[in-house]
Amino acid sequence: MKSTVSRRDFLQALGATMGAGALIAAGSGLGMMPAPAAATTIDHGHLGRSKRRIAVLGSGISGLVAAFELQRAGHEVTVVEASHRPGGRVFTVRHGDLIDEIGNRQYCDFDDEPHLYFNAGAARIPSTHLNILRYCRELGVELEMFINESKTAWIQDDNLLGGKPVRNGEYTANLRGFMAELFAKSLTQAELDAPITEGETESLMAVIRNFGDLDEDLIYRGSVRAGYASGGFLEHGSPREAIGLHELLRSPFARQVLQADEGETGPILMQPVGGMDRIVKGFVDQLGDRIRYRAAVQAVMMKSDGVDVTYEQGGKQHQLSVDYVFNCIPTHLLTGLDNNFSAGYLQALGHIRRGEAYKGAFQAKTRFWEQEDIYGGITWVNAPIKQIWYPTHGIHRRKGIILAAYDFGHGMHFTNLTQAQRVEDMLAQGEKVHANYRQQVEKGVTIAWHRMNHMLGCAARWTDSYRDLNADEAHLMDTLIAPEGGRHFLIGDQVSRHVAWQESAVLSAHRALATFSRQLEMAA
Amino acid sequence: MSSPLTRFCLGAGVVLALLQVPFAQGREPYDDFYCTTCHGAEGRGNVGVNAPRLAGMEPWYLKRQLQKFRDGLRGTHEGDVEGRAMRPMAVKLTDERIDAVIDWVGHWPMVSAPSTLGGDTEAGARWYRTCSACHGEQAQGRLELKAPALAGQNDWYLLTQLRNFSLGYRGQHPEDAEGAAMRAATAALPDEQAMIDVITYINSLDPAVSYAGRDE
Repeated sequence: MKSTVSRRDFLQALGATMGAGALIAAGSGLGMMPAPAAATTIDHGHLGRSKRRIAVLGSGISGLVAAFELQRAGHEVTVVEASHRPGGRVFTVRHGDLIDEIGNRQYCDFDDEPHLYFNAGAARIPSTHLNILRYCRELGVELEMFINESKTAWIQDDNLLGGKPVRNGEYTANLRGFMAELFAKSLTQAELDAPITEGETESLMAVIRNFGDLDEDLIYRGSVRAGYASGGFLEHGSPREAIGLHELLRSPFARQVLQADEGETGPILMQPVGGMDRIVKGFVDQLGDRIRYRAAVQAVMMKSDGVDVTYEQGGKQHQLSVDYVFNCIPTHLLTGLDNNFSAGYLQALGHIRRGEAYKGAFQAKTRFWEQEDIYGGITWVNAPIKQIWYPTHGIHRRKGIILAAYDFGHGMHFTNLTQAQRVEDMLAQGEKVHANYRQQVEKGVTIAWHRMNHMLGCAARWTDSYRDLNADEAHLMDTLIAPEGGRHFLIGDQVSRHVAWQESAVLSAHRALATFSRQLEMAA
Repeated sequence: MSSPLTRFCLGAGVVLALLQVPFAQGREPYDDFYCTTCHGAEGRGNVGVNAPRLAGMEPWYLKRQLQKFRDGLRGTHEGDVEGRAMRPMAVKLTDERIDAVIDWVGHWPMVSAPSTLGGDTEAGARWYRTCSACHGEQAQGRLELKAPALAGQNDWYLLTQLRNFSLGYRGQHPEDAEGAAMRAATAALPDEQAMIDVITYINSLDPAVSYAGRDE
C-alpha cells in the first residue's frame, strides 16, 4: 500500500471529498466554545426587596432556576408545567417512564436498576459551564466524569474500507500521519511568508513529526498509535499497516473526527450520577408543591397592573393573576396561546424555528462493548443514527444502556418513521459496527423531540447555521430579551446565542432576574 | 415530640407529595386529547408549528380528515410536510377514539383567524366563482358535497393546502374522492398569485355565516 503522498495527490483527494455530499453535523455546537463566564452572583436582598406574585411558565432548567431564586428571595412563586414531568429537555428515561411523544407514546421497559437510564435530552456538562455546575454543588447533585471520545470506539462508513468499522484511534493516527507528512513537505519547500529562524523551523518540524509520528525521512509509514496488529505486551508488537490517504478521505469523518474531542465537547465533561434529571430533582425538591403538573397554559394576557395566566388542568380552567411572568415555553408553542403581546414581540416569537434532534437507545443484555476495549465515548456512523454512545457509568456490570442514535441536526429521518421502523433502522445500522448487535440489544426507546408533547422541537434555531445573528435577527433577539410590557420575561436557551446547553438556560434566567431586580430597585 | 396533629399534617404532606412527585413509581396515565399542543389553545391554530385552526371547523369534516390521516388517504406524500406530521397522531385512533376526540374538538367556540395575506380581493372574487359551486357563495361549506367552510380559516393553511392539492401532495390517493375533486379544481388557478388572491377574497367573507350554517 502506498504510504507517501504528493502535494498534488493530497489536494486532488481533498477536492474529490469536498464535493462528496453534505458535511455531517458533528454534534451540538462542536468546536464552538464560548469564553467561560464567571459564575453569576445573585443578590437576593435586592431581588427580594419587595414581594411579588410570580408565575413561572414551564419547568425547564431556566424556569426552575428562576423559580428557585425568586422563591429564595421571598416572592410568591407558582410554576405551571404542561407535562406530567418537570425538566423540559432535561429528560432521563428509566424503567416505567412514559415517553410522551404525540402519536408514539412509549413506556420504557429497561430493567429497574439505578445505572440503567438514558439521558434523552441534555447529557453532558462541560467543566466551563460554571453556573449549572454551581447549582449542582448547591443542590447536592453528585457528578462523575463523562467520556466523550474513546480511541477504541469505532468509525463506520459504507464508503470507507468496504464498510468495515475502523477504530477511531487507527483512523485518526493515519489521518494525522498523512497531514503531518504534507505539512513537513510544505515546510521544507515553502517560502514562508513570515520570517522564521532556522531554530524555529527545527522546532516546528519536530512538532509536525510528533503530531503525525513521522519517521526520520519525514514520511508517515504507520504508527503504533493506530494500535498493534498483534503482540505489544509479552511479544513485540507488530504495527498495523497504514490506511492510505485516499481511503481515509473517502469518509466525511476525515473532516470531523479530529474535532470531536476539542472545544466544548473536549475534556472535562461531567454527568450527574444516576441521570441528568438529578439536577431537575434538586430544584423540584426545593420548590415542593409550588409546581403544578399537567397544567397547560392557554392564555397570557398582559394588563397594566399585572398578568393574567389561564391554564387548563384536570379538564378545568384555572386563572392565575400575578404581577410578573417568567416564561420558558418554547416560542413556537407560545404563538399558539391566546395573548395580547405586541405585534413586534409576536413577530420575534414567530421568527425562531424549532430543532429536530432525535435520540434512541437500547438496553444491552451484556456490555459487549467492554469486550471490544470500549468503556465510553462515541462511535461515529455515516448513516442516520450518526452516533453510538457507550455508558461510562456501570462499568463491568451485566447490562447497560447504549445510545443507539443521535442526530442533532437532521432528526426528521427517524422522526418520520414508526416506532418499529426506528428500532429496525437503529439495529440495521448498529450491526454494521458490532457483530451480533441485533441479538445483544433489546427494549429500544426513541425520542423524536420534534413530536414530544408540550415541546414539539429541540433547541431553537435562530439561523440555519452556527453563524452569529445578523442585525435583523439581533434586533429580534433584543425584542425577546426585553420584558414584554415590563412584566413578561422570556427565558430559556431559546433566547441565548448558544442553544442546547443547560448553561445557556441558567444564564438566560439570571439575566432576566437581574433585569427584574433593577426594575424593583427603580420602583422602590 | 410530634403531636397527633403534626403527624397528621406530615402524613398528609407525604401523600400529597406522592401524588405530585413525578418520580413516583407506577405508570403515568395518558389519553388522546393532545390536539392543543400543536393546534393551540382551544384549537385556534398555531402558525409557529403550521397547525391550522380547528375551532369552528365542521365536526363531520374533522372526523373525515382524521379518518383519512389514519387510513393513509392523506398525509403520506413525501411533499406534504405538515400532513406527514399529522398522520402519526391519527394512526392509532380507533373509530370510538375519533368520535371522542371530535366530540371534544368539535365543540370549541369559533374564533376567526387573523388575515396574513395581502392579495387582490377583486381578482380573488373572480377566481372564487369556481370554488363557490362546492364551498358556497359565502365559503360557508356544503355538507352534501363534503366541502368544508373556508371563511375564518388560517389563510396560510389554506395556501399550503391549495399548493398541496395543485402539486399532487394531497388528493392523490385513489380512495380520496373529495381530495381528487379538489385537486382537479385547483387546475383552475394558474399560479400562486391566483391562490393568494382567492384566499384574500375568502378572508373578506364573514366567517360567522359559515359557522352559523355549519352542520353538526
